[in-house]
Amino acid sequence: MKFMKQSPLQRFRTSLLSRYVLIIATALVFIPVLMPASFLASWAVNRMLILGEQEEYQLPYGSAHDLEKMWHEQAHALAGALPEEIDARLTELKAKYPDASLFWVDGEGSTQLQLPVQTELPEQWSAEDTIAFMKSGFNADPYTVVALIGGSQEAQQGFMVFELPRSYLTPQGRPSDSRFYGLFMALIFGIFILLSYVFFRGIRRRLLRLEAAMTRVGENGLPSPTDEGRPDEIGRLEQAFNRMVHQLEEGRQRERKEEELRKNLIANLSHDLRTPLTVLGSHLYSMGKEPLSPQGRQSLSLMEAKLTDLDHLIDHLLSYNLLTSGKYALSIELQDVHRIVRESAAAWYPVWEKTGMAVDISLPEEPLRWTVDTQGFRRVLDNLFQNVVRHAGSGEYVGIHTARWKGRAALIIADHGPGLNAASTAKGAGLGLAIVELLLREMGLRLDAESSTEGTRFVIYPAS
Amino acid sequence: MNPIHLLYIEDDPEIGTWVNENLQDRGYRVTWLKTGERALDYADTCRLAILDVMLPGLDGFTVGQRLKKQHPNLPVLMLSARASIDDKLQGLEFADDYLTKPFHPDELAARIEVLLRRSGNASPGPLKLQHLLVHERENLIINQDTGEEILLTGKQFHIFNYLLRHLGQIMTKEQIYEAVWGEPYLEGDKTLMVHIRHLREKIERDPASPEIIETIRGIGYRVRA
Repeated sequence: MKFMKQSPLQRFRTSLLSRYVLIIATALVFIPVLMPASFLASWAVNRMLILGEQEEYQLPYGSAHDLEKMWHEQAHALAGALPEEIDARLTELKAKYPDASLFWVDGEGSTQLQLPVQTELPEQWSAEDTIAFMKSGFNADPYTVVALIGGSQEAQQGFMVFELPRSYLTPQGRPSDSRFYGLFMALIFGIFILLSYVFFRGIRRRLLRLEAAMTRVGENGLPSPTDEGRPDEIGRLEQAFNRMVHQLEEGRQRERKEEELRKNLIANLSHDLRTPLTVLGSHLYSMGKEPLSPQGRQSLSLMEAKLTDLDHLIDHLLSYNLLTSGKYALSIELQDVHRIVRESAAAWYPVWEKTGMAVDISLPEEPLRWTVDTQGFRRVLDNLFQNVVRHAGSGEYVGIHTARWKGRAALIIADHGPGLNAASTAKGAGLGLAIVELLLREMGLRLDAESSTEGTRFVIYPAS
Repeated sequence: MNPIHLLYIEDDPEIGTWVNENLQDRGYRVTWLKTGERALDYADTCRLAILDVMLPGLDGFTVGQRLKKQHPNLPVLMLSARASIDDKLQGLEFADDYLTKPFHPDELAARIEVLLRRSGNASPGPLKLQHLLVHERENLIINQDTGEEILLTGKQFHIFNYLLRHLGQIMTKEQIYEAVWGEPYLEGDKTLMVHIRHLREKIERDPASPEIIETIRGIGYRVRA
């Protein structure tokens, strides 16, 4: 038996509790580290993504600053140009910036070329219109650049407007920093949860294995020992379980040996008691052949009757001894009780016939299925029938039938004897009936006895 | 006519002497041995073996099993003072009958008779049942009233033969059906009753009040010796 005493320290080291505490403590210690680490990691990933994807996210028309510079340069370059020249220039620029809306307004404030045409623009611009337009264009979407043609107000050439949806000026499709941060946190927590899960799954598995070992019954009717794992709490449980199985096995062996001894003892006792009885019987029989006075013959038959009684008493005593010590092995099966009753009654019929008893047997054709041991049930019937013959012979009647009793199908054995309380029965019936009750209880059956001076009814019915 | 030879093994001298004398009085030739060692030497000539269980040396169970192994048709009757159900069951695994001591010699004789009849070793002459004369060896049944032979169908013959082999014993409906038909008895089966009725019509003087095949109400049937 492998079971060593552990020092408290060893015990703590190998304990499941300490291992779990270790996991929790690691998790707690890691929280202050985890947050900055996540920040750092997410920043690094962002950096990598930006560097790696810069080409991909390059702005199609350059930055806002570039556009503003370009537009002012173009306006400046158109100083003193004719309206047709300005139109031509804007058309060229439209070709270069297909997503932009362009238009220009001349020195008198009337809207000239629009690429494309925008309905909401006024035909003639007042000073308020211009200010309102400038105001609405400021920091709004679309991004708007207004430039005075010729570069200054003195040129009196009006202004030109460049509008571009801001989406062309902000990089698209790149995840923001905070999402990476969340991802890292989740990942780390996930690892902790996984660790805990693995830890508990390990425990669960070992417990289930132990449970299986406890439930599984080997050939000897006992659970078989299990493998002992790590020497922690569960390991110690496994060791304790194995020790228990071992003790059970030893107990079972001892019990079997005792059972064997007891059976042999009873068999020998039976033999030793019956052999002199047989010899006695043989001499009584021989004496019966001699010429005897009527008185002598009466004594002889009395002796023979007592011999039979003694034989039954020995039988009952030994059976009772075996039964009460639980050494009587019943093999209980679902059986048709009617059939057993018929066979038993067939054996007893000649005895009843000889003693002049009326036999009334009415058992239905349908089987009465109870879980009984055939030999045990026969023994029950034998004892009850014997009881009828010995103590209720004066009633000259034995009845066997089925009826409902306490809501269940029951087997009833009735006689017309003087009843159980009559003096003659008290002497010998006790042990036989005790055996009947013991046997029936073993087979999950009950016995009720109804007795009066008119007769006795024994009712056998299932306990449930 | 040679008397029937019985082998009897018993170590108790008083019981042995008594049984030996009693059986010889009943017309049997008995070989009485005190131990089982030489039992097999007599197995060829004897018609039935009566064995005690508790013997010096080989016990009765072992002797019985050896006898049965070499002579499966030899009837073996265990006669023992060991009366527990376990002993009886162990004995009946191979033996044909188990009688416990103390016993009445009439019962022993009756059981010997039954076993001999069952194994076909009964006294040769024809069996007389009321007005019938049954020649068991020749399967011949003669009605003495008319002097004619009674012819039975296969099943009728089997039923009658089964009851004759258990002469004097009550056989339940289940036992008869299962022995004759060789299949489990079904509850409420009227087949057996019909066959018995037809059998009675052939063998009974008055089938309405049968004298040969007796109905034991609620149990079964019996042919009385």
